[in-house]
Amino acid sequence: MSETKNLSPVERIKTKSDGLRGSLKESLDEPITGALYDDDQTLIKFHGLYQQDDRDRREERSLKKLEWLYSYMVRLRLPGGFLLPKQWEGLHEISNQYSTGVIKVTTRQTVQLHGIIKSHIKPSLQQFDLLKLDAIAACGDVNRNVICSAHPKQSALHETIFAYADKISTLALPKTNAYYEIWLDKEKIGSSETEKDPLYQDRYLPRKFKIAIAIPPNNDSDIFANDIGLIAIIKDNQLKGFNIAAGGGLSSTHGNSNTYARLATMLGFVATEEQLLKAVYEIITIQRDYGNRGDRKLARLKYTIDTMGVDAFKKELAIRCGFELAEAAPYEFTERKDYYGWHQNHEGKWYYTLFIENGRITDTETTALKTACYEVAKTGKANYRFTCNQNLILADILPENKAIIEAILVQYGVITHTNDASAIRKNSMACVAFNTCPLALAEAQRYLPTLIGKIEPILTKYELLSEEITIRMTGCPNGCGRSPLAEIGLIGTAYGYYNLHIGGDRNGERLNKEYKQHLNETQILEALDHLFSNYAKARNPAETFGNFVTRLNLV
Amino acid sequence: MQLEKSSRLKELVHTCSKEELIWINGYINGLLYETPTSVSKVSILYGTETGNSKSLALNFSTEAKKKGLRVKLIGLDQYKLQDLYKETHAFIIISTHGEGDPPDAAKAFMNFLGQDNLSLPQLQYSVLALGDTAYPLFCKAGEDVDALLEKAGAKRMSATVKCDVDYEQSANDWFTKIMDSMQPATQAEAATTPVVASAKSHERKYYNGIIHTNINLNDIGSTKKTFHIEIGTEETVDYLCGDSLALKPVNEYSIVQKIIELTGADANKTISLPKATGSIKDLLSNNLNILYLSNSTIKKYAAIVQKDIPPTRVDLLDLLQQFPVNNSTQFEEILGILLPMAPRLYSIASSPAAHEQEIHLTVALDTFETETGEQTGNCSRYLGELAVKKSIQFYIHKNNAFKLPPANAAMIMIGPGTGIAPFRAFLAERDYTGASGKNWLFMGERNFSSDFLYQTEIQQYQKTNMLHKISLAFSRDQSAKIYVQHRMLEQAVELFKWIEQGAYLYIAGAKHTMSVDVEQVLLQIIQEQSKITNEEAILYLQKMKQEKRYQKDVY
Repeated sequence: MSETKNLSPVERIKTKSDGLRGSLKESLDEPITGALYDDDQTLIKFHGLYQQDDRDRREERSLKKLEWLYSYMVRLRLPGGFLLPKQWEGLHEISNQYSTGVIKVTTRQTVQLHGIIKSHIKPSLQQFDLLKLDAIAACGDVNRNVICSAHPKQSALHETIFAYADKISTLALPKTNAYYEIWLDKEKIGSSETEKDPLYQDRYLPRKFKIAIAIPPNNDSDIFANDIGLIAIIKDNQLKGFNIAAGGGLSSTHGNSNTYARLATMLGFVATEEQLLKAVYEIITIQRDYGNRGDRKLARLKYTIDTMGVDAFKKELAIRCGFELAEAAPYEFTERKDYYGWHQNHEGKWYYTLFIENGRITDTETTALKTACYEVAKTGKANYRFTCNQNLILADILPENKAIIEAILVQYGVITHTNDASAIRKNSMACVAFNTCPLALAEAQRYLPTLIGKIEPILTKYELLSEEITIRMTGCPNGCGRSPLAEIGLIGTAYGYYNLHIGGDRNGERLNKEYKQHLNETQILEALDHLFSNYAKARNPAETFGNFVTRLNLV
Repeated sequence: MQLEKSSRLKELVHTCSKEELIWINGYINGLLYETPTSVSKVSILYGTETGNSKSLALNFSTEAKKKGLRVKLIGLDQYKLQDLYKETHAFIIISTHGEGDPPDAAKAFMNFLGQDNLSLPQLQYSVLALGDTAYPLFCKAGEDVDALLEKAGAKRMSATVKCDVDYEQSANDWFTKIMDSMQPATQAEAATTPVVASAKSHERKYYNGIIHTNINLNDIGSTKKTFHIEIGTEETVDYLCGDSLALKPVNEYSIVQKIIELTGADANKTISLPKATGSIKDLLSNNLNILYLSNSTIKKYAAIVQKDIPPTRVDLLDLLQQFPVNNSTQFEEILGILLPMAPRLYSIASSPAAHEQEIHLTVALDTFETETGEQTGNCSRYLGELAVKKSIQFYIHKNNAFKLPPANAAMIMIGPGTGIAPFRAFLAERDYTGASGKNWLFMGERNFSSDFLYQTEIQQYQKTNMLHKISLAFSRDQSAKIYVQHRMLEQAVELFKWIEQGAYLYIAGAKHTMSVDVEQVLLQIIQEQSKITNEEAILYLQKMKQEKRYQKDVY
């Protein structure tokens, strides 16, 4: 069914990898370089790792006749983004022993550690294994970490819905045992028979695949940015089923007009768990069979659906499922945010959402975030939930323990830090970019905090500082920081330059559009000053910034 | 001929004037009967971001060598730009990124080519441009290189070939075409005329050199400093791989000045000493040892100033401060007791064939503890501080006991630390001359990430099959210290096999304790592997020494 000619080189690497093993063992043992053999650099992604290098140091090291400073990023598979306190303690210790020390909360509800050198990968993964944590399929052309609305106070059914993240993740796990053999030194137990993978076969997917679940009215998991977006339909406090949307994806390529950001298309509704899992599974098989394997820039499900046409896609899905999806049930999103500070759920348990700028958990002069989280873990009195906006919820705290946790948060400056951050800062997001991301054209997480510091005075000038405007920055157009779904999106074009996009809505249901190209900082601030000045003067009551610039046809 | 082609040809011919037909006739004749140019040496330069250009360059280099050409293969990030004036045949492989940008590694090269007055009339070149048609400025960097070289008066051997993401075929065609257009010069032409040692060889020949490059090879975080120094000379220096360079350091100017201030001596007054005549300033700077004085010098000093001075090795300045001289006459007397500055020897790290008109050194900054604290060696300090363009004087110290084996003999090199220096020369020479013997290098340092001396060069030798085995020992990357002798023991069977098959074995570097330990281990291996007594093993090694198969350059 798929094209066999002109396969991209990655396709060859996958099919001849012997269940994602490749020559990873030999690569790890090669002493002359901190890098892996070329093909293994692709395969290691399927094991949740990326080979990276410190781009700040390239030039100087070349002069010193040293190779680039290679290290590895490991990303955990955490469906729904949940850790027990013991697991947090372990994560904290591994991060100190082997990585840069920063625990990075990602935009997909998991954590990653950077700067692990080649000889430390195995010890790190082995320690994670002791904590019952793994990184299987956290990256690569497979289903990635399944994300879910984060805050238990949203619904009494949160626990039930949350469990689906794990069910779907398990459903779409690769069957190979390579991870256990390579990283955990387990005997080769898999045979070609037991490792037979009906979902991924030997070719996996044409490209990465992302699934998200949202519990209305909060679209905190940004479901329309995903290959599959699931909306829990709740009526009379009962879970009635899920709406299924498919074909979302935000990445594009500068200068390639065949690429574009796209919101997921609503396909319909399923009422039972069995039907839900079947439909998700078969959407993946359609993408496996019809996706473009020649051009990786056109390989995501969104292009497959647009090439087939939505109706043909639905028809194929019905054939594969053996049933048709019902009409989508009505739902309404009214927000897309994290509930900072203390909140209580229906059972009376307490939750504290910490603000973590761009997901970087580390100690600074003013706030000892990382130490605070570690101290909380040592009490054993709070679980850890990551949000889809790179923040952290200290969760499931019994009323009698609230004061203990609060005292730790106060001691390390966490509460002040969370309360004092401005609305725009709390609604900001940035991808990793420099110095480790090989795709970055411009800075993102290292720069956005500074830029916001310069935007805040402008907002203050127009009395807009309390407006919850979303602003997101990505260092390239690949969309890890989901900037096309922000009211203000900044997409790196070259070092120090960004395209300015505006006009996304607040709930993640409308993409923003390019307003100005290739701006430096001064030009960005000038443009925003102008826009904010108009917004303050001419907006309707309660009109969001994104809606305002759209109503005025500014983009 | 295909019908379509022949009709196109007829169409073209039909429109041509007689003159144009004559020109076409000549042109086609030229294409058909062009004789390959005779070439002895080519340079393959690559600018890489993702590694594609580099892996092509490595393949091409192997092919060109097979053809009998001498090849210089180097990344543009490490290319010495001044060398462009010397190149006769250069083939450049360069990729394009972002908005028509060259790889970071090629930026300095591009800037150099962009100079207004650049003139390269001696150069013939061809460019292979890698790119991606999905971007608007396809292969822009390659086009730029081509245009700039043409502007500088270089001659294009064949048109730039632009490759898309599936580059292999067009790239190979490009190189095959180039290879077909040249043939290796006969050995007589190619061989560099050996410099015949002057008859009056007892007369020491001094050379003037200019510092071209001086870099610290160790990276941030290292506990060491190792300088790679390239010294350019106008005249061809008479030396062979394995020889040493001898020079005298110049004392630190600030110390000389302090001594003069302290003693009130007339800096410009000419003084005649048994071994040198010059101004006081010159003598103190260039001719006399004023640091870490010997006990006998201190005794003589004590006698002159008539003080009781403990026999602790200190600097002249310390003595002058603690036990001042009465007047400048007494100081002149002191000058008479100082030992002359002794020349220091450094094993040369370059090959006269491969590194034309240059001599390279690998100099570790010597640090040692004295009773007055940590000191640095005067000569290594002096060399490390030598700025580019500074001139120095040196002579060659011949070492006939440390010479390359016959071209087809296998070679085992054991050179931890700066012991790598002569082996860098050996490998460069063997690579350049296409010696067929196998090579095995043992080297070691403290840490892999910061101290791997000449890592990228060694990686290149490994990739181009110049280096058949490499055994690395980084002593401080794990809790137990690992040195080269541990690696030798691990490889005992293979090592002895090489020796039995006639390999030449070399040790370079620290005499104590490295060379002693290595020799012990070597004896142990010989004894165990051939099941003989210790005394017999000693005889075995002595026999190797007589056959010149065991050579040492230790200090």
